[in-house]
Amino acid sequence: MSRAQALILIGAGSLGLAALLAPPAATAHHSFAMFDHVNRITLAGTVTRFEWTNPHVYIELDVPDGKGGAKHYSIECASVNVLMRTGWKFTDVHKGDTVKLLVNPLKDGSAGGMLETATFADGRTLGDSNPPGGVFER
Amino acid sequence: MPAVSSSAFGPSVIRRYLPCLAALAMLAMGFAPPASRAGAKSPPDITGDWMVYPSRGKGGPPDPKLVAPQPTPLLLTPKYAGPYEAKRAAERESDKRGEPLANDSTKCIPNGMPQMMFPIYPLEILQTHGQVTIIAEAMSQVRRIFMDQPQTRIEDTPPTYFGHSVGHWEGDTLVVDTVGVKEDVLGYRDVPHSDRMRIKERLHLVAPDILHDQITIEDPIVLQKPWTFTFAYRRSPGYQMLEYVCDNNREYVDDKGVTRMKLQNH
Repeated sequence: MSRAQALILIGAGSLGLAALLAPPAATAHHSFAMFDHVNRITLAGTVTRFEWTNPHVYIELDVPDGKGGAKHYSIECASVNVLMRTGWKFTDVHKGDTVKLLVNPLKDGSAGGMLETATFADGRTLGDSNPPGGVFER
Repeated sequence: MPAVSSSAFGPSVIRRYLPCLAALAMLAMGFAPPASRAGAKSPPDITGDWMVYPSRGKGGPPDPKLVAPQPTPLLLTPKYAGPYEAKRAAERESDKRGEPLANDSTKCIPNGMPQMMFPIYPLEILQTHGQVTIIAEAMSQVRRIFMDQPQTRIEDTPPTYFGHSVGHWEGDTLVVDTVGVKEDVLGYRDVPHSDRMRIKERLHLVAPDILHDQITIEDPIVLQKPWTFTFAYRRSPGYQMLEYVCDNNREYVDDKGVTRMKLQNH
């Protein structure tokens, strides 16, 4: 057996162990490693655009900077399909709504992130994906 | 005199109805549907919507008797083993850096076979005359299994995402053979394959609402020996499949192959 074959066998073994510990994850649309799942931020602002689309729903948000201006953020949500199964409706967010979003920001520091929970203008709060805890089905 | 020889059932009557009786006998012996001839039951009803079982965080702890068995060891040929491990390591490293490498799914390209059978969204199975159709909600993928048809030769099968699938029932098991999957479609756990790959599937209900798909990948060029893994699904009664069209993909791949998110200012 070559070294490479041995490595593959070891790899298969560790994959098997991982599978025993937790069910293997099916393929998501993309890796979520670009988002910071630890240092979460809360953004309260005004919706400038709501895209009810796949592969992801997007909320474009102007967040007041406290100096009379605003900083714009692009927030990626789960897919239409996952949001619908989580209880969202396409009418839950409108342009001009005031919303509060708990977000996993982009690690590169640019003004974007992935949604964790959204509090809508009517006060309801819904999660973005299920289940919570950094395991994503999107 | 026995009743059978009475006038009502006398020889003349038998002669009169003999052609009919013969026809009935022929029907019973030779012209009945195959399932009846073999004395077997009709195929199980697997039509409906299915979710991978167990679903994380949903439905409570899984029943160990119903979960999919562990895969057999994956043994790639030397030519493919090194690059495969190197790619997996690069992906782990790039994820750690927060710069995930893109994959086909990121680009909204269908999973294809066999990864389509391990979806994050539901699968719908439809049993119709001469065909079993499987629809994945994610990316609206469709594969068709042509029943009781001969398989085409691998070298004659045009490469596609889902390949050319033929199937038949062996008792309660749907046995499917697939060839002709495009070489750039990555397999389960991103394992590569050659144009010689053959996918053998055995789908059967292990409980009334739990379906297993045992998949064996045969590939004499990439694999040292066939690799078998199983996916499990739970029936989702009442679910209505949703549309999925990937028409607003704001993930893009930069010049280093890293997945980025397109920001819009307004």
